[in-house]
Amino acid sequence: MHSDLYTRLKKTSLDDYISILNIASKIEKIENNRESDIKFAILGSTSIQMIVMVLKALLACNDIHADIYEGEYNGLLSDTYDISSKFYAFAPEIILLIPDHRDIPKWPVYLESTEDVLDKAHNVADYFMDILYLIHEHLPNAHILFSNIIGPDSFPLGNLEANYIFSRESYCSIINLELIKKRPPYVTILDTNRLASDIGKIEWFDDSAYFLSKQGFSLKYIGYFCAMVTRQVIALKGMGKKCLVFDLDNTIWGGAVGDVGYEGILLDPNDPEGEAYIAFQEYILMLKQRGVILAVCSKNDEKNAKEPFIKNRFMCLRLDDISCFVANWDDKVSNIRKIADHLNIGIDSMVFFDDNATERELVRKFIPEVEVIEVPEDPALYRRTLDTANAFDQITLTKEDIDRFKTYRDERMRKDFSLGFDDYNEYLQGLEMRASFSYVNDKSLGRFCQLLNKSNQFNLMTHRYSEAQAGSMLDDTEYGLYTVSMRDRFSDYGIIACIILYFEKDTCYITDWCMSCRVLKKGVEYYTLKKIIEVADKRGSKHIIGRYTPTKKNDMVRTLYLDFGFNVSFSTQEGFCEYILDYDDYSHVFTENHIEEDAYFEER
Amino acid sequence: MKRDKLKQELQKIYYEVFDDTSIVLFNEMTADDIEAWDSLTHLRLIMQIEQYFNIKFTTAQIKRTKNVGMLIDMIEQKIVK
Repeated sequence: MHSDLYTRLKKTSLDDYISILNIASKIEKIENNRESDIKFAILGSTSIQMIVMVLKALLACNDIHADIYEGEYNGLLSDTYDISSKFYAFAPEIILLIPDHRDIPKWPVYLESTEDVLDKAHNVADYFMDILYLIHEHLPNAHILFSNIIGPDSFPLGNLEANYIFSRESYCSIINLELIKKRPPYVTILDTNRLASDIGKIEWFDDSAYFLSKQGFSLKYIGYFCAMVTRQVIALKGMGKKCLVFDLDNTIWGGAVGDVGYEGILLDPNDPEGEAYIAFQEYILMLKQRGVILAVCSKNDEKNAKEPFIKNRFMCLRLDDISCFVANWDDKVSNIRKIADHLNIGIDSMVFFDDNATERELVRKFIPEVEVIEVPEDPALYRRTLDTANAFDQITLTKEDIDRFKTYRDERMRKDFSLGFDDYNEYLQGLEMRASFSYVNDKSLGRFCQLLNKSNQFNLMTHRYSEAQAGSMLDDTEYGLYTVSMRDRFSDYGIIACIILYFEKDTCYITDWCMSCRVLKKGVEYYTLKKIIEVADKRGSKHIIGRYTPTKKNDMVRTLYLDFGFNVSFSTQEGFCEYILDYDDYSHVFTENHIEEDAYFEER
Repeated sequence: MKRDKLKQELQKIYYEVFDDTSIVLFNEMTADDIEAWDSLTHLRLIMQIEQYFNIKFTTAQIKRTKNVGMLIDMIEQKIVK
């Protein structure tokens, strides 16, 4: 019954608001007795009941079961400024704040000086920031999703609105810009302003619905709004997408390369369709630059498939950009699985783009975890289709994201390099790996949380932390938060492992330990343990206790502590296991590795 | 559209909105007669009627609607136009 409704809701177009509301209302009625995964609070200055209902349903069909606190009317102020409010007692982990342009306390007057207008906008942004600071002070672990201001839909100055800084329209833009400048890491700004603009503000606002029941926007677009929030929650939970898998023929060029050859494919700035394919390739390249991993999955002979990448002058994408290139005659379902294996990423982190409807259907049917983009017939629409899917939403952008594609390219160079060695240890030595173990600081906190939240395989406990949560542990001397950064002769990996230690009396607990799969089998775990022992020793710990909780994905570290030489001290039937290492044994533990200490990182 | 037919169509919308197929509409029926008929379901009801009959009520009409009979009158007027 539940899953039926979820499937129906998932298949419903965001435009079909009637079905969305009807299904969400049905889900609301049956959802009550389920144990929740997250505590979610929604506060707004307009009516939020419908948002609560639809969001809960949309989250549920993405397997996130939220216990939602629905703020009081005008809860943006009444709930937050009352320390004894039910909102604080509820202790939400994620808070959605939906302000409204009607909340703006001060507007510029006509002909006001630019300086005064900027000053006023600055104060309005502070007025909102004060609410965020207050929430953070009382709920330091909560992450806040803050909808930006949607510019008003009335333009008393007409076209002059765009000519003066004191116009209502300009003023809202400045406030939004100020919000970006002031944004603390525990806040994610939701670009509702862009959503409203994409839809059209005349459509977005429904004055009648506002006058009748204080709806902040037309309920026709409630699906769009809640889908945007859902994507952010998914990203916060570390369930975001990482990899774009795409087809070649009639997807990134026109025609079948196997039939027409690398020069015959349709890819040409002088042809309208050929130009459309070029534009799509340019967009894929932009995704790569922001850290999306690219993989090709095509039914072709490999040699034919690769030829345009090397020889066609209009190709934007080069072989170097593709982290995994699969061209053969096997079915795409097994090829996608192969790509996930090869790249060491979860199959649920992949997005599939293929012009062939049959292929899409097969992937949908056999690997429902993969997000399959519904590709339109016209290649001119490919770019927008992929762009508006917003499939790769994430909470932060880090240096590691930007450099990711280099890491995969360098991985290929490493592979070539490894061919010159018969002995794996000699190869590791030849890599000239250097690493550092550093305490987390404000600069590295973003990446620290990103890695903890995204790692699934080499992750002992799979706890997820918001930046707010991790930040509050930084101030707590009982905790030790560390990162491991590494580079070798080919590349700088940046931060590739995260460790949270907890010190109690004479024991050092390894609360969390995760590592990026890009550095598996290089001995980083031995280096890391060596450093953990050093820290524990310095703090005077007599024992180190490591823990493991099994998930569907972290079997590779099931025996990690045993392999090091820890002893089992406790275990449950569900597979949770606790391991202990006594001080006297530290010297017997195997921590040999080929990694040198790196001073370069310490300085940063 | 005949008034009876219109009532039938409206009844189907009520089934959907209230998720209850035991509802039988009558002219004097008000929110007091259906437990789940609150401001939220009323809003959905209006949206669904507007979409189904491809009409748009005025704010005053929505404000004034007291019972099913009035609702049917409103729809009838709008469709005739």
